[in-house]
Amino acid sequence: MRKYPFGQIDRTVLDTLGPPSRAYWLVIGLLGLGVLIGAASWAYQIAVGIGAGGQNIPVAWGTYLINFVFWVGIAHSGTLISAILHLFRAGWRNPIARAAETMTVFAVCIAGLFPFIHLGRVWMVHYILPYPNQRTLWPNFQSPLVFDVIAVSTYLIVSTLFWYTGMLPDLATVRDRATGLRKKIFTLLSLGWTGRHEQWRHYARGYLFFAALATPLVISVHSVVSWDFALGIVPGWHSTLFAPYFVAGAIHSGLAMVLTLMIPLRRIFHFETFIDRDVLENIAKTIILTGLIVGYAYMIEYFLAWYSHNAVEQEAFRWRATGPYRIEFLIMVVCNSLIPLLFFVRPVRRSVPWLFGISILINIGMWFERFVIIVGGVAHGFLPNAWGLYAPSAIELGIFLGSFSLFFFLFLLFVKHLPSMSMTELKESVGEGVGHAG
Amino acid sequence: MPDKRHVIGLFSDGDRALSAIRALKGTAWPLESVYSPIPHHGIMEAVGPQKSRVGYFTLAGGILGFLSGIGLAVFTATRWDLIVGGKPVVALIPFLIVGFEFTILFAVLGNITGFLIQARLPDIGGLKRHCPACTGDRFGVVATCREGEEEKVVVFLKEQGAESSLLQ
Repeated sequence: MRKYPFGQIDRTVLDTLGPPSRAYWLVIGLLGLGVLIGAASWAYQIAVGIGAGGQNIPVAWGTYLINFVFWVGIAHSGTLISAILHLFRAGWRNPIARAAETMTVFAVCIAGLFPFIHLGRVWMVHYILPYPNQRTLWPNFQSPLVFDVIAVSTYLIVSTLFWYTGMLPDLATVRDRATGLRKKIFTLLSLGWTGRHEQWRHYARGYLFFAALATPLVISVHSVVSWDFALGIVPGWHSTLFAPYFVAGAIHSGLAMVLTLMIPLRRIFHFETFIDRDVLENIAKTIILTGLIVGYAYMIEYFLAWYSHNAVEQEAFRWRATGPYRIEFLIMVVCNSLIPLLFFVRPVRRSVPWLFGISILINIGMWFERFVIIVGGVAHGFLPNAWGLYAPSAIELGIFLGSFSLFFFLFLLFVKHLPSMSMTELKESVGEGVGHAG
Repeated sequence: MPDKRHVIGLFSDGDRALSAIRALKGTAWPLESVYSPIPHHGIMEAVGPQKSRVGYFTLAGGILGFLSGIGLAVFTATRWDLIVGGKPVVALIPFLIVGFEFTILFAVLGNITGFLIQARLPDIGGLKRHCPACTGDRFGVVATCREGEEEKVVVFLKEQGAESSLLQ
């Protein structure tokens, strides 16, 4: 493996914190406009009521819940890359770990907004918190919705602390090369980190425990999200398959989003030296694995419906593939489990345009997977007189646009204000003169 | 050593810094501390093989979290003894999920608390004697000596491969 001087690693990352170009501000402005559209849409819904969205009986769970599951899913690969691959000592994850962790933090924040949006009367949200009301009645801790509040809140706190702790040495590096107000800000942020051996000793231990705790957490969070559905006796939802199916799907979509973010990032900030094609290829190989698991889950769902001899379950799955949402079903199957198979071809998984294009298609496919599962479940339940269709309203589309804009808006702010690659981890893996570091 | 002075030798290479640390052990100038831009196992072992106690905080947090999660779920469920969804009032399997999430949350909070206490952070005041090169590309080895011996220590560290030595 080629080695680089520590100074070059620092310069490459610190150069990204220089004054931004006009194009940056233009993109920030456009994304800010998208955020405003989303905020205005939500404000309108608060003013006129939840009926401004297209959700109605029987489809009471529409794009708000689809977006919630989608963003929680996106958040998962950040922890896969930063925690699970750290435990496996996969050195290739070092250049992308920071950006992936950041993606996790922002994606969980955005996911966390959607239950509030879906609630309609958002000012009543305190009812979900564990405190007694005036009749000393508490939230029901047997409900998967309460599991979800606990799991997603825990995930947000843990991923934010993991992200911040991992960044401490880099914040100190920026502090020691900054002047003026930036130096003061980074002095506070870096908590007085000096790189003293005692600090490293406790840091290394603490970081290892962080990774060890984040690993089961990440698996539990999307399992809990899947139980929001699987614990309901709705045809197409009530399956023990859901937890592993959702976890694999979450990592699949998250890895695709990592590619979508990393490919422009490495080009704009000249990170090609560190985020090279081998790194991108390794992500693509992992996507093959998760794509195969997701494809297997799609097949097993049909097998279970057939094997169960349950007419309602069989009808739900027949309708899913041949009913009014067959196009969405087709997008799901093709984008998530067939197109990723192209990564078996080495030139494809080493071609940046192919990687970028396929990552976008997987993102689209995974959003539609949640559409097919969530809407498809409640639209075609047990009773034919309760069947119905759903289409998102303009308000929902505005909020959808707002959520994507907010995600990219926050990510762009991050890459210009904080080190977007971990200098410390890069020095450990590809630095010259490291000796016995690790 | 009432009139003690500190001299820091800056090395571009972790292994050279490690050699200097080992060589210092044979002198009358004790090692005060080592600063590095990355964690270096060799240096940490040479400086002192004692283990970090962060794990005890993590464990304590985890145990407290598990008990808190289960305790909260059982306590709230038994306020009215309402049977919901045909499950027992104290339903162990759902409550284990609550216990699990609280375990992770409190273990992580214990972990970060343990790290901050053990590493003595925040410590903005400690930056007064900090060498900025040590968060970039240099390994700093700090030796303690009596007043008047600084020059000898500087020469010694340079002999060990230090690129520069400074009085701290």
